[in-house]
Amino acid sequence: MSTKRWVPILVGLMVVLALGAAPGVVSPFILQFLINLFMLAVLAESWNIIGGFTGYASFGNVAFFGIGAYTTAVLLTRVGAPFALALPAGGVLAMLFAAIVGLPILRLKGHYFAIATLGVAETMREVVYNLEVAGAGTGLVMPILRSPMPFFYLMLAILAAVTSLNWWLSESRFGYGLIAIREDEDAAGVMGINTPLYKTIAFALSGVFAGLAGGVYAYWITFIDPEAVFKVIITIQMIIMAVFGGAGTILGPLLGALVLASVSEWLSTHLVTLAELFYGLIIILVVIFMPKGLSDLIRQRAFSLRYFLKNLREYRI
Amino acid sequence: MLILQVLINGILLGGLYGIMALGMSLIWGVMNIVNIAHGALIMLGAYITFWAFTLLGWDPFLSLPVTVLLLFLYGYLLQRVVLNLIVRAQLFITLLITFGIEVVMVNLARIFWTSDLRQVTPAYAGTNFSVGGLTIPYVRFWVFLTTVILSVLFLLLLERTRLGRAIRATTQELRAARLTGIPVAQIYAVTFGLGAALAGAAGALWGMLFPITPTMGGALTLKSFVVAVLGGLGTMMGAIVGGLVLGLAESFSSTYLGPTYPNAISFGLLVLLLIFRPTGVLGRREQG
Repeated sequence: MSTKRWVPILVGLMVVLALGAAPGVVSPFILQFLINLFMLAVLAESWNIIGGFTGYASFGNVAFFGIGAYTTAVLLTRVGAPFALALPAGGVLAMLFAAIVGLPILRLKGHYFAIATLGVAETMREVVYNLEVAGAGTGLVMPILRSPMPFFYLMLAILAAVTSLNWWLSESRFGYGLIAIREDEDAAGVMGINTPLYKTIAFALSGVFAGLAGGVYAYWITFIDPEAVFKVIITIQMIIMAVFGGAGTILGPLLGALVLASVSEWLSTHLVTLAELFYGLIIILVVIFMPKGLSDLIRQRAFSLRYFLKNLREYRI
Repeated sequence: MLILQVLINGILLGGLYGIMALGMSLIWGVMNIVNIAHGALIMLGAYITFWAFTLLGWDPFLSLPVTVLLLFLYGYLLQRVVLNLIVRAQLFITLLITFGIEVVMVNLARIFWTSDLRQVTPAYAGTNFSVGGLTIPYVRFWVFLTTVILSVLFLLLLERTRLGRAIRATTQELRAARLTGIPVAQIYAVTFGLGAALAGAAGALWGMLFPITPTMGGALTLKSFVVAVLGGLGTMMGAIVGGLVLGLAESFSSTYLGPTYPNAISFGLLVLLLIFRPTGVLGRREQG
């Protein structure tokens, strides 16, 4: 390993350690915000694996989040399993689900794939609505844990893991394979890449982290119902945070999550509907003016009106 | 007898799915945009009808032309001002922007109309007539008839008028259409307007049969897509056939399997179809 590769590892470790010390100095309110921020960043980074690196725009990743949340919640409340077992089970089940659903729908491309994922999420919500063991429409209540510390450190650990995974993807043979699929799937196949296998693994990896985030979320919030963990806004957040920051980059989704979560937190103290409206408007503006995301803007040091106007003109009819 | 009744119910509902899909199929076919905000346009049509009914006391069938006109203008402006800016971008971008438009519309609807269930119930809402032992609700019958009239008008517009020819020419070959002097940006805007108008009409009619909520559109976008694919892209008749297929499938499944999974049925149909017959029932070969 060359010295150049050690730099991101060291910087990453220092950031994680610095964040790890945060609970000692910040107020409980900021701590809750940080847990939420980490969760959104995990979701954005997990979406980035399939949507950013592999180029398969999934509009239904909330299904994995919901499955993770429900698996953990059911094991905690109905089976009485310890959280240390329930959480990994949620991640594993979300991963298996992603792999099994991925096999047929990853054969689809473009619009078809996008709508199929939308359908998966919608169907899962309906299925959970009718599951007696999952509390059907009324939801599940979990025991309350007094301290938010375990959730803070768990979310931070998951975030560190998924960010490392994204970094590994940008450096490894497997990651190059995914990028090749994004750029030209037929050519990637001709080059000897087992594209169905690569895509399914990418989808499953995306699923496991969204599932873990869902599991921690369920125990942290202590109450879940189908509307709360399968709602479309979660998918919207993952996609827009990744795209706003820069899809297919490592730090982009983190940056997107930080900026957008902060603004929407501020907005939702005024009116909850405003926060969702804001996400919608941001999607429209970002797509028109900076489709390559913040990280491209920073890399090109293009802080001028001209950059935005160039993007505006690029795809106009 | 039950089978006949279920058949009739399915066909009556299928007409409505048909015009929803017609609008989606048109926009998709002409501009290669899969409009995720389609359901939100349907929702808007439903709320306009609701307002005309409760605030002005207009009969929902009489306010239909107004709804259609308003949605046409809205769709026209949306394409002219926003979507024309990105219409040549890759798939993901066009999907994402219509997704954003949907989110904005749904949340504005939450602010304007709140999340309460709304209904449009004219005096004749609960009345039926029977033909040979089959019960047919008046509203459903008139809704179906309206969808037939709208479909025929729309197909005539597309096949027989100068505007329709320009739209079809733009679909086939953008550059050649431009060379012959067709104002492409304008045609795109008119096309989106027409798609939105059909969605609005569907919403106005939908609101007479089912409750109206700000989030009613999500499932309807999915259904419109399924129907458009079911019939086969690029054929307008396909959308109507697809609508009937979905209407029948839902009618039969809710009678014989129970009504718990209405959307799972349409999604299941979609996945099966995409795997076994990706070009649709009447479709031609098309790239994904």
